[in-house]
Amino acid sequence: MINVQDIRDTARDLLAKGEVRAVIGWRAGSRGMAAEPCVITKPEEADSLVWDPTCYHNLALNLVNDRKELRHAKQSPGAPIGIVAKGCDARAIVVLLQENYFKREDVYIIGVSCENSGVLDEKKLATQLKGFAPTAAAFAGDDFSVTTAKGENKIAAREVMADRCLECRTPFPKENNTALGEDKTGRDIEPQFAALQRFEAQDEAARWDFWQRQFDRCIRCFACRSVCPMCFCDECVVDSIEMKIAPETTAEEKANRIRWVERSATRAENATYHMTRALHLAGRCVDCGECERVCPVNIPLRLLNNKMEREAREAFGFEPGASIGGPSLVASFRDDDPGEFIR
Amino acid sequence: MSEQQKYEPKIVAFLCKWCSSAGSDLAGVSRIQYPANATPITVPCSGSVSPMYILSALKKGADGVLVSGCHIGDCHYMEGNFLARRKLHLVKELLQFCGVEENRFRMSWVSAAEGAKFAEVVKEFVEDLRPLGPQEKLKAKRA
Repeated sequence: MINVQDIRDTARDLLAKGEVRAVIGWRAGSRGMAAEPCVITKPEEADSLVWDPTCYHNLALNLVNDRKELRHAKQSPGAPIGIVAKGCDARAIVVLLQENYFKREDVYIIGVSCENSGVLDEKKLATQLKGFAPTAAAFAGDDFSVTTAKGENKIAAREVMADRCLECRTPFPKENNTALGEDKTGRDIEPQFAALQRFEAQDEAARWDFWQRQFDRCIRCFACRSVCPMCFCDECVVDSIEMKIAPETTAEEKANRIRWVERSATRAENATYHMTRALHLAGRCVDCGECERVCPVNIPLRLLNNKMEREAREAFGFEPGASIGGPSLVASFRDDDPGEFIR
Repeated sequence: MSEQQKYEPKIVAFLCKWCSSAGSDLAGVSRIQYPANATPITVPCSGSVSPMYILSALKKGADGVLVSGCHIGDCHYMEGNFLARRKLHLVKELLQFCGVEENRFRMSWVSAAEGAKFAEVVKEFVEDLRPLGPQEKLKAKRA
């Protein structure tokens, strides 16, 4: 088990020696028990860092945001930025490196292993606690220790862990500068893609019936896109709002600009949006499950991304976030890719 | 569409400039009879067909989408159709996964010499689409 003091010491040392200009990590949040992402720049702030089962956020997103801010301010990064990264966070960083979003030497990865657990699913926890609001959560071996007004509860991790963590095979950040905790790569708590298999067992009509209900519900808040570390495009294809309009731009040009997807929350537009997102994340999504966690209307977005992930693995032998030097899924091919569907 | 009118499937066909587009021309100049349901759109290469094209066509009311390019190994840009094969395999799988009928999306390799094959592909596609009826699932409803 990781002692949180080790994370703090590492961060303090790095900041004191000036090896990094900041460290991205989690600190105690202001919303109940949940931790929140933070960026610390002074060694004395290191003691505010935490590591507990509420460190849900994929911090690779903050790395992307840092990059965007630097570029906006037209600054060069200088010293690297430190980041505390879980297994999934580190995989996301690998994909970003693969796509040359930044250089390896620009980031110092303090890897933290989830070992045999992962992060909480607040909905599952609420069911377990039968209405008592949790105020704190901590790792306790293979259990979670959750504090409520009634006292401390020991709950088996696999009862309340997020689905993505139950299926996770790589809880250890393989790409790291320094790593804390045991390497449990290859652990097998629950079979992978179980929900996907159950869903696919249904026939076509049932599948559409399911998705039409999901797509109808989407309010197009774009939380899934905002929280995704892979959605770093400056202008997203689904909202072409950045068309440069100059005095000489004609009305026809304005009217005819390409809008692949409208922003209105109707079923067809939502379906196109979610399918486009799934395709743009194919071979890039590392299944951190953040999109599903933040969805305010509970759309099972992991199903779409898992489908693409499994397809990439089975049809093309491709594993996202596996190595920095590897090619990307849709920019590479093999001579024996499946092509039986082509007439 | 009045009820007396027979339903005719609308196909949007993305044809590569070097092979399939020339193949469809050959079908025309050879006077081969085939259904007039396909609206051809010439693209530089099948590898340039973005999944957005397909989803967008379905959203705008296409009943079926056909993507056609050069045979494997014959790409004018060496590897465009290899990339198309991989990319559009994912599109096909995703459409089926979401419950869109398998026959709404089709891909074929048609060379510039295969006018007869192009006619055959379109004929087959139309026959497969007819029993499915109009595509309503992904079509945007506009007032």
